[in-house]
Amino acid sequence: MNNFLWTNIFKRTESEVDVIARLWQQTPLFKNIPARHIRSLAENMHLRNFEPGESVFRQGEQGAGAILVVEGQVKIMASDVQISVLESGDFFGEIALAETDKRTADAFSVKRSRLVYFMKAELEEWTEIEPMLGNIFLINLASILAHRLYLANQMLSHQSRSL
Amino acid sequence: MKPSSSISGSSAHINAFKVFSLLVALILASFYLLSSVILPIIISFTLYAVIEPFTNYLVRKDVNHSLAIIFILILMLALSSIAISFALPQLLEQANLLKQKLPELFTQLDQFLDISTRKLGDFIGVEFNFSSILVSLLSQSSSLGNELLVSISEQVFAITLSLILVPLLTYFILKDYKSLRNRLMNWLPNHKFELGWIIYHRVTRQLETYVRGVMIQSLIMAVVASIGFLIIGLDIPVLLGIFTGLLNLIPYLGPLISMSLASLVAAAMTPFDPTMIMLAIGVIIIAQLIDNIIVIPAVIANAVDLHPVPVIVGIIIFGNLFGTIGILLAIPALAAAKIIYSNLYSNIYNASQNTG
Repeated sequence: MNNFLWTNIFKRTESEVDVIARLWQQTPLFKNIPARHIRSLAENMHLRNFEPGESVFRQGEQGAGAILVVEGQVKIMASDVQISVLESGDFFGEIALAETDKRTADAFSVKRSRLVYFMKAELEEWTEIEPMLGNIFLINLASILAHRLYLANQMLSHQSRSL
Repeated sequence: MKPSSSISGSSAHINAFKVFSLLVALILASFYLLSSVILPIIISFTLYAVIEPFTNYLVRKDVNHSLAIIFILILMLALSSIAISFALPQLLEQANLLKQKLPELFTQLDQFLDISTRKLGDFIGVEFNFSSILVSLLSQSSSLGNELLVSISEQVFAITLSLILVPLLTYFILKDYKSLRNRLMNWLPNHKFELGWIIYHRVTRQLETYVRGVMIQSLIMAVVASIGFLIIGLDIPVLLGIFTGLLNLIPYLGPLISMSLASLVAAAMTPFDPTMIMLAIGVIIIAQLIDNIIVIPAVIANAVDLHPVPVIVGIIIFGNLFGTIGILLAIPALAAAKIIYSNLYSNIYNASQNTG
């Protein structure tokens, strides 16, 4: 049996990286990107723990990257209105990968949650090394943002019709 | 502007300043603790900024990361050894020539001042004695030179240590910097994690652009000035060209110093020819024009967005505090400080608006 004093307490377990890579792989952000590249990215991603009720970010704050829910639940609010509740495998805040300007909503951890961050800084470093894959990723990101814009437009036109 | 928002803005400035001061204190404390190895660390990080695109290129071609680093480092060492072995004899010869010329230069300068002061004295009816001032200045500079020699001999150990440390540190920075950075960033609390990354990203982007830009700029300036000095037939053209390139790292003041240096060398040439001084100054002016019109817009445009006044004041203060390293670090340090402060301020201001 291994003595716990001699184990590397900082070393992330293999399964944890695999889980993160698998969850990212299932998102449209990493569509058409080979699994081994997602895994090597996942090795350097930042896993953080949030307590129930803890703020992940607030509207107007600058965002540094996209966030994936590994475990737990995150509530997205805009102007005190709940927009959605995200669970394991869902991602949010991807606008920050395109522009680190301002977060457009509030995000709170509902349960004890484990969230993983993929930073814009790391995306830029990765695209320098893997420009072809970076290109695919950026097209995926553009598609997601375009889809969100389409939904926002639809919602606005629906609201203006109901007024 | 509403009074409430201005109060919030000023208190945000105070809070941002507190955090900023704490950060500066931490950085200064680290500099103090690492003072004996700070130069190798700075050189290694500069080399990291220069070498990283090449290692990335090799990694893109499916070369193992560690192998790519070792290959680039060996290539750089080999190229610099070849360059030094070719250039060193010529540079030493030129340095010897300068050493021989110095007494002659001071004699020429003394005679020139003597004649000028006599003429000036006759013209305005007051007697000046610039020669005695020159003698005192010369004696001061010679004692300074001796002190410099003593300090260089004392620094031999440090230089040898640097020669060993720099390649080693550069290798490990290239290999492990990102994982070390991630470990350090993970120490940040959840609510400051993203802010930390945003500041890091902006500062490093700007510093990388600046370092790569000034390296290319210095190289171009050294080549342009050397060719110019060769064309006009000035003594020690290559050595002076290299000095001009290096001095170009110091904005505003550097070109003035290189202009004085080139004029001094031109004045020391026999026979004394004032046209040569004008030509030497002309070469520096043309090199500066090329720098400002072509090189800066193409290479380091928007690398740092700083007003000239804080830059000059910063260079003088940093120079006084940290010597030559301070002069070279002044601009990147000011640029980094500006980004850090403005991001801290906007974060604190936004947080106060959200809670309020």
